[in-house]
Amino acid sequence: MTLSTFILKNAFRNKRRALLSVSSVAVSLFLLVTLQVALRELTLPVESPGAELRVCARNKVSLTNPLPARQRPIIEKIPGVEGVTPFTWFGGQYQNEGAMTFAQFAMDPKETRTVFTDFKLTDAELARFQSEKTAAIIGKISADKYHFKVGDHITLNSTVYPGALEFTIAGIFSGTADDRMMLFHQDYLDDSIGTPGLVGMWWLKVKTAEDMPRVITAINQAFANTAAEVRAESERAFQLGFISMLGNIKTLIASISTVVVFTLVLVTASTMSMAVRERFRELAILKALGFRRRELFVFILAESFGLAVAGAGLGIGAAYCAYTFGNINKMTHGIFVSFEVTPRIMGLAALVAVALGILSALAPALAVARMSVVNGLKTLD
Amino acid sequence: MALPLKYNFRNVLVRWRATLATMLGIALLVAVYVLVQALAVGLQKSASNTGDPRNVMIVRKGSTAESSSQVSLAQLQTIRYWPQIAHDEQGVPILSADVITLISQPRIDGRGEANVSVRGLTPAGRQLRPQVKLISGRWFTPGQREVTVSGKMARRFAGFQVGDTFRTAGNTLTVVGEFDGGSSAFDSEVWMDADEARSLFDRENYSSLLVRVTDPAAVQAITARIENDKRLPLRSETEVKYYSDQTATALPIRILGNFLATAMSVGAVFAAMNTMYASVGARTREIGTLRVLGFRRRSVLAGFILEGALLAAIGGALGCLLALPLDGYSTGTMSFNSFSETVFEFRITPWLATKGMIFSIIVGVIGSLLPALRASRLPVIAALKSV
Repeated sequence: MTLSTFILKNAFRNKRRALLSVSSVAVSLFLLVTLQVALRELTLPVESPGAELRVCARNKVSLTNPLPARQRPIIEKIPGVEGVTPFTWFGGQYQNEGAMTFAQFAMDPKETRTVFTDFKLTDAELARFQSEKTAAIIGKISADKYHFKVGDHITLNSTVYPGALEFTIAGIFSGTADDRMMLFHQDYLDDSIGTPGLVGMWWLKVKTAEDMPRVITAINQAFANTAAEVRAESERAFQLGFISMLGNIKTLIASISTVVVFTLVLVTASTMSMAVRERFRELAILKALGFRRRELFVFILAESFGLAVAGAGLGIGAAYCAYTFGNINKMTHGIFVSFEVTPRIMGLAALVAVALGILSALAPALAVARMSVVNGLKTLD
Repeated sequence: MALPLKYNFRNVLVRWRATLATMLGIALLVAVYVLVQALAVGLQKSASNTGDPRNVMIVRKGSTAESSSQVSLAQLQTIRYWPQIAHDEQGVPILSADVITLISQPRIDGRGEANVSVRGLTPAGRQLRPQVKLISGRWFTPGQREVTVSGKMARRFAGFQVGDTFRTAGNTLTVVGEFDGGSSAFDSEVWMDADEARSLFDRENYSSLLVRVTDPAAVQAITARIENDKRLPLRSETEVKYYSDQTATALPIRILGNFLATAMSVGAVFAAMNTMYASVGARTREIGTLRVLGFRRRSVLAGFILEGALLAAIGGALGCLLALPLDGYSTGTMSFNSFSETVFEFRITPWLATKGMIFSIIVGVIGSLLPALRASRLPVIAALKSV
C-alpha cells in the first residue's frame, strides 16, 4: 500500500462523513461565489463598448432635475463633440404591472449610431426607427419577455408625465450592456405629453479619448452660473455614481461573505477534528511503528486538504454552471441582468478552500503531535 | 415510554466539544437570517411609522413617487376649501402643499454622492406630521434659504451639520437645525420652506398635497370627488396606504435573505448530520443499553431527533443574541421608489426572533432525522457488543 492510497482509504473509511463534509464545503463555496459575484455586479459598472468615448451630462442638482433643450446647439459646437442626443427617462409601465419592468428613454433617433456604437440593429430596422415618429426600438431581453415583435403596437403609462403613449416597435436590438431598455423619439414625447423644451439629460460622443477631459470641462463651464448648471462626466464615472447610491448594501454583502467563510472554517475544522479523534488509537499505533510527527501531519493535512478541494471543485463548478447557463434575469426578478463568475472570483473561492484545508488540519494535527503513544493507545473512543 | 428530556439535554452538554462548532454554525446562520430579515422589517416599519390615518395624500394620477408627481396651483386652489378638510383654531384649512426635489450630495465619508430628498413644506406641513421632532437648532424660517435636516441624514452626508452651508441649484443653503423623524420615512429627508424650494429649483407646481380630514368618512368623499372631477388628474389615498405601498426596496432584500437562508441551511443540515452521526456512532453501546432497558425504537428515534433539535435551538438562541446588538442600528440604501437615499433601521421583532428559532429547530430536526433513524434501527445485541 502506497502512502497516497493510505490517505485515500482513510479519507473514505467513513464515506458518509466524507460526503457530508464535501457537500457542506461545496454549499458554502457556492454561496461565497454567489455573494462575490453579486458584489462585483453591484460595484462594477457594466463595461459597454464605446463607453470610453461617451460623456453623460446631467443637471448638477441631481439626475432627476431636467435640462433645457436649448443647451443642445451649445454642446454641439464644442470642438471634439461628434454627436449629442437627449436621453429622457419616461418611467412607463406596461399594462398593469406594478413594478417597473424595463427602462424607456426618449432620444434623438438620428444619433443612434453616432452616440451608441454597441447597438446590433439591422439597417432596415434603424431606418424605420428614424422615419416613423411613434417608432421605438427595444432590447431583446424585454422583447422576449413580453413576446414583442417588430410591428407591434404597445402602450405605456408614464409615471413621470401625465398620460400614456402608444409606440410601434420598429426594431429589436442586442449587444448593449442592458438589452432590456426601449428607446423612442424625444419629439414624440414633446409633442404628446412631455414638457417641450426640457430633456432628462444629454449623452454625447467625443471624437477621441484625448478630447474627453476637454469636452467635459467645456460643457461644465458653458453652463456654469446659468439656471441649469450641468455636471458632465464620462459614462464610467456616471455609472459609478449609481453604485455610490447603493450605500450600505455593499458592506452588508461583504460582511455576510465573511460570516459564511468563518462558519465554513468552523464546521469543517470540527469535522476534521472528529475524524481524527475517532482514530487516535490508530495514529498512536503509527507513531509506535516509527512514523514521525511530520508524516502524521502530512496524513491529516492531505486528507483535510483533499476534502476541502473536492468541495471547492463541486461548489465553484455548480455556481459557474448555474450562473453561466441559468437565466439570472428571471431568477432575481430582473435585479441582475448579467451574473458573471469571473476567474478572479473562482480563484478567490479556491484560495479560501486551500486555506480551509490547511486551517482545519491544524488543530487535530497539533493534538496528535502532543499525544503520547501510551495515552493514544489507551483511547477507547 | 419516552426517554427523559434530561438525558438528551445532558448529552448535548457532555459532548460539547463535538457539538460546539455545529451549534456556532447554526448560530451564525440564524444571525445572518435574522439580520437580513431585520432590514426588510426595518424598511416596512419605516413606512408604517410614516402615515397618519387622519391624513390624505393627493398626488398626480399615474405617478409612483412624490418626486415625479405634480399638483398645479390651480388644483391646489380648487381643493383647498373643500369641506372635508379639517380647519385649525384660526379657521385655516390644515393642508400642506409640498415640493419634493432630489439633490445630489457628497457622502460624509467622501465616497461618492447620492440623491437626497428635499421636501419643501407649507406651514401646516409640520403640524400634519407630529412624529417629526426638532432635536437641535431650530426650524427653517419661511422665506429664508434655510433647511432643517434629519439627524440620520446629517450623519451620512457632508455639509449637513447644524451651522454648515451647502450649494445646490446655484444657491447656498444654511443648515439651521436637526430633526428626528421617529423612524419614519421623514428620517431620509431635508426640510425647507415650500415656496423657497419652488423658486430655488425653478418649480412652477407643487409635488403633492397632504390634508387632514374632518372624519374617516371624509376620506371616501375626497377620493370620490377627485375621481369624478375630470379637471383634476389626481389620485388620493390615505397617507398610511400611500407609504405602505412604497416598500418595493424591501423585495431585493427579501430575495437576498431567502437565498441566504436556503443555501446556508443546506450547509447547516450537513453539519448537523455529521455531528449527529458521530454522536450516534460514539454511543452505539449506550443505545443498545437503552434498548435492553426496554426503551422502544421510536423512543430512541424521538430522543435523537429531540437532541438534534435541542442542539440547533441552543444555536438559534445564540444566533438571535448575536444579532440583537444591531437592533435599531440605522443603515441606508437607494430606494427604488423615490430614487433617493433611504435610511432605516435593523428591526428585530419578537416574531422575527421566533422565526429564527423555528428555522434553527427545523434545521436541527432535518439534520438529525437520518442519524436518529440509524440509532433506532441498531440491532440490540451487536450494539451492546460494540466497543
